[in-house]
Amino acid sequence: MLNVEQLTKKLPDGRALLNGISFRVARGEFVGVLGASGAGKSLTLRCILGLTQADAGTATLQANDGQTFELTTCKGRCQREARRRMGVIFQGFNLVKRLRVIDNVMIGRLAQIHPLRSWLYGFTDAEAAEALEALRRVKMEKYADRITGSLSGGEMQRVAIARAVFQKPSLYLADEPIASLDPSNSLAIMKLLQPLAKETPVLGVFHQPEMTARFCTRVIAIKHGKVVYDGDPVLSHAQLEDIYGDELMQVLRPTPALPPEPEASSSAFVGQVDEATPGLLAKQAT
Amino acid sequence: MSATGLSVSVLAYVPPSVLFRRRAAIIAGVVAFVSAAGIYLNFKPWMLFTDFHHLVRLADEMIPPNVALLWRKTALYQSVAETVAMAFLGTLVGGVVAFGLAFVAAKNTTPHPWLRSVARLGFGVERATPNFVVLLILFIAFGFGPYAAMIALAIGSVGMFGKLFADAIEQIDPGPCEAVASVGANPLQVIRYAVIPQVLPSVVANGFYAFDVNMRAAIALGVYGGGGIGFELQLAMKVLRYPDVLALILLVIVLITGMERVSDLIRRSLLRSDILK
Amino acid sequence: MNFPTTGSPRSAGPLVPLRLRKPLLVLLVLGGLVVVSARLCKVDLAEFVPGLAKGVEVLRFFFPPDWSSLQEMVGPALVTVLLAAVATPLGVLLSFFFGLAGARNLSPGWLRSTARTLIGVERALPEIIVLLLLVAALGVGPFPGVLALAIGSVGMLGKLFADAIEELDAKVLESVGSVGATHSQIIRFAVLPEVMPALLSHSIFRFEVNLRASVLLGAVGAGGIGFELQKAMALLEYERAMMAVLVTLLLVFGAERISDYLRRRVLDGGKLA
Repeated sequence: MLNVEQLTKKLPDGRALLNGISFRVARGEFVGVLGASGAGKSLTLRCILGLTQADAGTATLQANDGQTFELTTCKGRCQREARRRMGVIFQGFNLVKRLRVIDNVMIGRLAQIHPLRSWLYGFTDAEAAEALEALRRVKMEKYADRITGSLSGGEMQRVAIARAVFQKPSLYLADEPIASLDPSNSLAIMKLLQPLAKETPVLGVFHQPEMTARFCTRVIAIKHGKVVYDGDPVLSHAQLEDIYGDELMQVLRPTPALPPEPEASSSAFVGQVDEATPGLLAKQAT
Repeated sequence: MSATGLSVSVLAYVPPSVLFRRRAAIIAGVVAFVSAAGIYLNFKPWMLFTDFHHLVRLADEMIPPNVALLWRKTALYQSVAETVAMAFLGTLVGGVVAFGLAFVAAKNTTPHPWLRSVARLGFGVERATPNFVVLLILFIAFGFGPYAAMIALAIGSVGMFGKLFADAIEQIDPGPCEAVASVGANPLQVIRYAVIPQVLPSVVANGFYAFDVNMRAAIALGVYGGGGIGFELQLAMKVLRYPDVLALILLVIVLITGMERVSDLIRRSLLRSDILK
Repeated sequence: MNFPTTGSPRSAGPLVPLRLRKPLLVLLVLGGLVVVSARLCKVDLAEFVPGLAKGVEVLRFFFPPDWSSLQEMVGPALVTVLLAAVATPLGVLLSFFFGLAGARNLSPGWLRSTARTLIGVERALPEIIVLLLLVAALGVGPFPGVLALAIGSVGMLGKLFADAIEELDAKVLESVGSVGATHSQIIRFAVLPEVMPALLSHSIFRFEVNLRASVLLGAVGAGGIGFELQKAMALLEYERAMMAVLVTLLLVFGAERISDYLRRRVLDGGKLA
C-alpha cells in the first residue's frame, strides 16, 4: 500500500505546485485522482515515481514482500527496486514501437533480470510463456508477435497494462490512461483496471469524473496543489464545479458513443444533466 | 526447437531462445569474418597494446605544439589562403560545369536519352577514380602546385555534384514547365523560368556542402603535392619536426571548423534574404 | 526586367533598379573572391588550353590498359576491400560508444560536450592526416590503415548516431526506466531497437566511404590497390596504372550497388535488435 504525506513541490520563484498532498491507498482500492489541468495530479504521480524530485514530504510504499521504500528519497539501486514493485501505465502508452508486443510485455521484468543476462541472452522462453499469459488477461494474446507500432491506441494501452501485470507489482499507477483513447476503448481499459484493483491497488489520475464514478472505489480531488476531496467516487455537480471551475463543461462532454451496458439501469447516463435524480452521476451497478 | 519442447508453429510468437540463436549466429558470423580477414591482412590488434608505446612516443614528440610557428612563419597564411582558394574555385568551377552537365544527365531535360546514360556513366566513373590519379595526371599537364589541385577538385566536384544536381532536376514538379512551355517559350526559357527556380535551393545547399567536402579534399590533395596547408603538413612530417606537425594539425582543425561555421552563416543569410531570380 | 510602371517614361529612375541591387552585389563579391582565389592558386589562363592538351596527351599513355597485370592486382584489391571490411565494424562499435556519450538524453552535460567536441575534431581531420600520424608511429602496413579508417569513421558515424539517439522519444525511455531497468537495460531495450535501422543504414554507407578511403590511404602506405596504383604511376607504367584504376572502379561500383541494395532492405524491413 501507499502512504503519501505532505508532498510538496515548489517552483523556483516560490509558488507551490504541490502544497502538502496527503492520502493513502490500501489493498483492494481503485483510487481515482481528479483535478483541473495544472492542479497537480500528474505531478503527484511523477513525484511518487521519482520522475520528478519533490521538495518536501514523504511517499512510502509498503510492498507485498514486506519491504518498505521511501520514494521521495530513494535513489539509484533503491529507486530501481521500488519501481520494480510499481506498475506504471502512461497516457501515451510509451511502448517501444519497433519491438514486438511480447517483447514490450517482457520489458516489465527488466528490474528482476540481471543486466548482463539481459544483454547477452535476452529473455527466456519461460518468461515469454508467462508474458503470453499476461497478454491473455488483456485479450491481446493473438497480437504477441506483431510489431507494437502497428497497433491502435487502445490495443497499445492494453499491452501496456499487460506489461504492468507481468511485473507482478505491489501497486499500479496510471497517468491519464484513457485520455488518448476513444470512448469505447476507454471503457474497455477501465473494465480491465477494475478487476485488477481487487488484487493489487490501483492509483489512477483521470480527467473523466464519469469514469471514476463508475469504476473507482474511492476518489481524491486535487485543487491548486491541495487535496480538497477524498471519499465516495460519486461527486455532486456542486463538488465537481468546485474542483474544475470553468473547465467543467469540457470535462463533462456528453458521450453518445458509449454503448449501453446490458446490466446497467436505463436511467440517466454519463454526462447528461438530469435534475430529477439526486446528484449528477448515477452510480451504475457494476 | 524451443526450450519448452513445443515446436515453433504451435506458439503464437517466435520464442526468445530461437531469436537468440539467430542473433548469436549473425554476430558469430561477423566476428568470424572480421577475424579471418584480420588474419589474412596480418592485422594484429594486440599491436595496439604491445606497440602502444610508439604512439606515446609520437605524442611526446608532438607536445608541446610549436604554436609559435603560426605567427612566426607568415608564409603559412599564404598556404591557408591557398587551400581555401583551391576549395572555393574548385567548388565554383566544378559546380558550374556540373550544373550545365546535369541538364544533360536528367531524364526530363536531356536532348538525347543515350547522352544521358553517357553523362551519368561519366559522373560515376569520375566519382570512383581516386582523386590522386587525376591529380597526378594534372601535375604532368600543369606542374605541381595549387593550379593542378584546384582543377582536380573541380573535376571531382563535377563527379560528385553532377549526380546530385541531375537528381534534383529529375525531381521537379513538371507543372510549371508545362505552364511556361504553353505560352510559347523555347526550351532554354523553360529551363530559365521553370526548372532553375525549383532546383535553386537544393543547388545552393549542395554547393555549400561541396565546399565543406572540398576543403577537406584540398588539404588531402595538398599532402600529395598540391600546395596549401596540406603540403606544409607533409613537409613538416618529412623533416620530422613533430611539434610543427601538431601545430599545423591544430591549424587545420581550426580552419575547417571555422570554414564550416562561416559557410553555414552565409548559407543561412542567403536563404533568409531569398535571392531567387 | 524591372520596368517602372509609374511616372513618365522619361523620369529618371535609379541607375541600377532596386530589385537587381542585391544580386548584383553578391555577384560583385563573388567575382572579387574568384579573382583573389585565382591569383592564390596561380591560375594561368594562358596555360590552360595547352595544359589541357598536354593532359589529354598523357591520357593516351594510359590506353590500352595492361590486362596482363590483372592477376597481380587481385591480391591487393582483396587487401583494400578487407581493410575496409575490418575497419568498418570496429569503427561502428567505437562510434556507437561515442554516440551514446554524445546524446543529450542519455549523457551528463560534461560527457556530452567532451564527446561532441572529440567527434567534431575528428570530423575536421582528413583521414590522410590520421593515417600519416599512425604511420609515423607504427610504421607502414595494414594495422595503421585499419586504425585510421576506424577512427576516421567516428567523425561521421559518431555525429549521426548521437543525433539519432537524441531524436528518440524521451517518454519511451522514461517508460522503460519506470519498471526499474538499469541504464544499460534502457539502452538495450529502448534505444537500440529504435535506432537500429538508422545505425545499420549509416554503417553500410560508411563501408562504401571506407572502401574509397582505403584506396586513397593505400597510396600513402596502407597497402592494397592504392599502393599498386601509386607505384605504377611513380614508375611511369601508365598502362598498369590504368589497370589498377579499372580494378578500383570495379570495386567501388560493386560496393555502391551492394550498399544501395542492403540499405534499401534495412530501411524497408528493419532488423530487430
